[in-house]
Amino acid sequence: MANITKKVSWSSRADESGVTAEGTPLLNGSEQPRPSRQLSRDGIFQVGRLSTVDLEEEMTSEEESLRGRPKEIPHNEKLLSLKFESLDYDNIENQLFLEEERRMSYMGFRCLEISRWVVCGLIGFLTGLIACFIDIAVEELAGMKYRVVKENIDNFTEVGGLSISLILWAVLNSAIVMMGAILVAFFEPIAAGSGIPQIKCYLNGVKIPRVVRLKTLVVKVCGVICSVVGGLAVGKEGPMIHSGAVVAAGVSQGRSTSLKRDFKIFEYFRRDTEKRDFVSAGAAAGVSAAFGAPVGGVLFSLEEGASFWNQMLTWRIFFASMISTFTLNFFLSFYHNKPGDLSNPGLINFGRFESDSGAYNLYEIPLFIAMGAFGGLLGALFNKLNYWLTIFRIRYVHRPCLQVMEAMLVAAVTAAVSFTMIYFSNDCQPLGSENKEKYPLQLFCADGEYNSMATIFFNTPEISVRSLFHTQAGTYDPLTLSLFTITYFFLACWTYGLAVSAGVFIPALLIGAAWGRLFGILLASITPNGSIWADPGKYALIGAAAQLGGVVRMTLSLTVIMMEATGNVTYGLPIMLVLMTAKIVGDYFVEGLYDIHIKLQSVPFLHWDAPATSHWLTAREVMSAPVTCLNRIEKVGTIVDVLSNTSTNHNGFPVVMQGADSDEPSKLCGLILRSQLIVLLKHKVFVELARSRLTQRKLQLKDFRDAYPRFPPIQSIHVSQDERECMMDLTEFMNATPYTVPLETSLPRVFKLFRALGLRHLVVADDVNRVVGLVTRKDLARYHLGSHGLEELQLAQT
Amino acid sequence: MSIHKNCYFLLILVLNIYALVSGDGINVSASDSADTLTQSSPYSPAAAVVLVNSPVFRKPDVDSIFSLNLLSSFPEDEEISVYCSDLLHIFGQRYVTYVNCSVNSSRPVKVCQNCYSSYGSLTEIYLKISSEVVPGNESCRDSILRNDRLMLVYLLYNNLEDIWGKSDCANCVTKGFHSLTNDTLYFMSSVNQTLTCFEKYKEGNHTELCKSCKNTYRGLNELYSRMETNKTMCIDIEDVMNVTRKLWSKEYNCSFPREETVPVIAVSSFMLFLPIIFYLSSFLHSEQKKRKLIHPKRARSYNTLMNIQDKLS
Repeated sequence: MANITKKVSWSSRADESGVTAEGTPLLNGSEQPRPSRQLSRDGIFQVGRLSTVDLEEEMTSEEESLRGRPKEIPHNEKLLSLKFESLDYDNIENQLFLEEERRMSYMGFRCLEISRWVVCGLIGFLTGLIACFIDIAVEELAGMKYRVVKENIDNFTEVGGLSISLILWAVLNSAIVMMGAILVAFFEPIAAGSGIPQIKCYLNGVKIPRVVRLKTLVVKVCGVICSVVGGLAVGKEGPMIHSGAVVAAGVSQGRSTSLKRDFKIFEYFRRDTEKRDFVSAGAAAGVSAAFGAPVGGVLFSLEEGASFWNQMLTWRIFFASMISTFTLNFFLSFYHNKPGDLSNPGLINFGRFESDSGAYNLYEIPLFIAMGAFGGLLGALFNKLNYWLTIFRIRYVHRPCLQVMEAMLVAAVTAAVSFTMIYFSNDCQPLGSENKEKYPLQLFCADGEYNSMATIFFNTPEISVRSLFHTQAGTYDPLTLSLFTITYFFLACWTYGLAVSAGVFIPALLIGAAWGRLFGILLASITPNGSIWADPGKYALIGAAAQLGGVVRMTLSLTVIMMEATGNVTYGLPIMLVLMTAKIVGDYFVEGLYDIHIKLQSVPFLHWDAPATSHWLTAREVMSAPVTCLNRIEKVGTIVDVLSNTSTNHNGFPVVMQGADSDEPSKLCGLILRSQLIVLLKHKVFVELARSRLTQRKLQLKDFRDAYPRFPPIQSIHVSQDERECMMDLTEFMNATPYTVPLETSLPRVFKLFRALGLRHLVVADDVNRVVGLVTRKDLARYHLGSHGLEELQLAQT
Repeated sequence: MSIHKNCYFLLILVLNIYALVSGDGINVSASDSADTLTQSSPYSPAAAVVLVNSPVFRKPDVDSIFSLNLLSSFPEDEEISVYCSDLLHIFGQRYVTYVNCSVNSSRPVKVCQNCYSSYGSLTEIYLKISSEVVPGNESCRDSILRNDRLMLVYLLYNNLEDIWGKSDCANCVTKGFHSLTNDTLYFMSSVNQTLTCFEKYKEGNHTELCKSCKNTYRGLNELYSRMETNKTMCIDIEDVMNVTRKLWSKEYNCSFPREETVPVIAVSSFMLFLPIIFYLSSFLHSEQKKRKLIHPKRARSYNTLMNIQDKLS
């Protein structure tokens, strides 16, 4: 069926598959009325109806294999994976819910409100603690590594045998990275990368499996320490956002399913609606801890995720962010032996730009904009290269052991390239008291001087960024900077997407800072009195913003994050202009890095709006049909069969009611979810049992919450043969007022409703309220505007 | 307040008159040169030095008071007492001595070694000026240090104090400015040892120098880095070390040569080669991951299909 739209949208091209598909819609179309009529006619014999549906499916699949259409294709970006499901953001207003609400006193609601604040405070606190832990661990371990390597290099410079130091460095790097990669590849693959795409998807309303589990958090934290200490071209800031989100999801539930501990608190928050709000707070807290940018964190959550926003939530998120920053400050102040000092925020601290040379003038604005455009170009190149690489990785480097090997190789090559660059660099700078190098390498420089290439390569990337921003003019040779920019660009591009948990923020900042500084130096040398106003540090900052903007294409939040991280509001204007140009230029070529990765993971991601030029599509084309419906009082056997049918892994079932007259068509009266049905089956809420056992406890909302979020699979629920004959009354549990749309609703309208309300299922009903179709996230997400007009993504098993 | 303003005005007037009266050729040229220097290098201590050295300062020590007495009629208590003016006089002399000394030992830097005693005496007199408890119940602190906006004496002394602080001389001088510390003396002696060694082998081939003086130089380097970690360094030590290092690495070219280019290139290109093999082999041998397509259930009818085509055409 998918072919029709494809055929239509590609009508300009003579598409072979479209031609062959011509017959199918006719066939199906002619057959279409049959099942629905059957549905209306013999609603009681549901099993019979189901079997017909099954038959039909078999038929079509046979047909396809006859036609020889390939059922398997190599992975590409135009797929939607089946494994992703929606979150239930919409409240299920069933009778249980109403009952609970009625029972709840005024005080109860006040307590809920207070506990929301408590949870947010806890989220901020724990996120700050994790950030602190990562920071200290990275600093200590990296310090150890660099000291060992430096000692070795110093020794071998004298006696000869520097290639041994090179090997030592490479082996150390690979070994450390190997640990991180093993953790990620074998234990929790979802912890790979920065985690920002995943969190973005989660906040968009996609349930990414295992993304907010404790195990993921542990792997993420250890993994990021390993990859940064292992000297990869990565940063620890992106993973902080993921960590914050996991903390939020965990804390707000008041229990850990992995540890099998239930603290019996915050039980009210055990549903997707509440959890998602807290996750957005956690992501904000993560950003805020990473950059010392509480406002930036809030805006990040706003920009990247939350479609559902209200004033109180924003305020709570801000609270969490603030707490997180200052928890980090507080604990780091002890580490830095300045207890109580709260003014040194952020994992990455850009330092203060307060000197006179940091001031900028009107005539520099065009220069900044030009830099923004260049950043956009470079960012687009980065993304394109990374896109190809990621496709290759998904297709060919998918076995965990291969992924570990790849990560190790990258680590070794990073060390080798860095070493070679340092070895052949002739850029020597005097050791000064102002620019304190932590691990100055002398190599072949004169005594009392150090190799300036080593400052940027032989350091954790954060320190290199800071050094590029703040060391005085003349610290770096233009040649050093240009070589560094080129090598680091490719290294960073190669590194992102490995099976290690690591972010792309810092590498992008570092590349940008390097070419920005280079630009500043050149500017100072070619313009008269340029050395007065063209402060290389300032241009390094602008370059960093341009490059980062070109790669990730964030706008508002990134501006604020950069502004907060530099602690200088006056840079707001240039940074904003730079990010704007970078985004405009970059978007002309390719999407942002995170969007690319979301696409490559085949996530049904809903953007802000439906694709343009899609008004001619109506719910009729968009929806899935025929729909598996359940009766209001349904036989247990039928339910079990429907749920255990692996070919149709549906999650929501419209509940229909048979009219008094058997000829009357069955009308929609509610919607019930798979998770609810499973809980019902587990507790054996059968009509017959209720009659026989009057003492049986009535099922409460609490029982559903206890099972959340990991509902057992249907296979684990045992239903005996006798029980299969029982009946189940769904009236109490179904959502009695599901949203419906008529058949002729246009796609953008459906989309808007879906996106704005955070729906999971949208029933399409005809004029007499019969169920004719069901719209889910995947039905909507498959349309996207490609180069050939509206294209349709295909569903695939991944 | 108005009284104060008047005082300032009068003072300026008086000074102007004085300048007119006592202005001669030398004076003008000296202050001119001072001005140009100030303009060219506003932060260099040398400028201050010249200012102090100029005859404007030296000559009027006695005269100025005299002329002030002549030209103005301040009440008794507005003037500074004899005791204070004496102190001021001594302060000026010591100031000049110290500044002279510093300028003379500015290159190569020996400010700590040569001038610590004069700095000590300057501090001593300044302390006397600024102390509250004084013999005869008169405090010069207010009359000299804080009586006007400029607070010249304070400013002058502050400048020198800054210089002293920046030079870290306190690390090399014992408390009370009696002598240099033992560490410093020891360091200087080992520097001398190294330099003599350099002198000895300077003629002829430098490789011999590199070989023979290596041990002394190495010892010196180690001593230096130990002092660096102990924070017992001052500018003198840093400078002399810098010079020695420059001699060693630039003049005599005793730095380590870049000799292992081939092995380094070999190892790193081997490492660069590994990923290529890796990617090639995984491309050739690894099974390409295929995705199974799923065909969703869709409803359709004739007229919608036709509608779509109509709309598009």
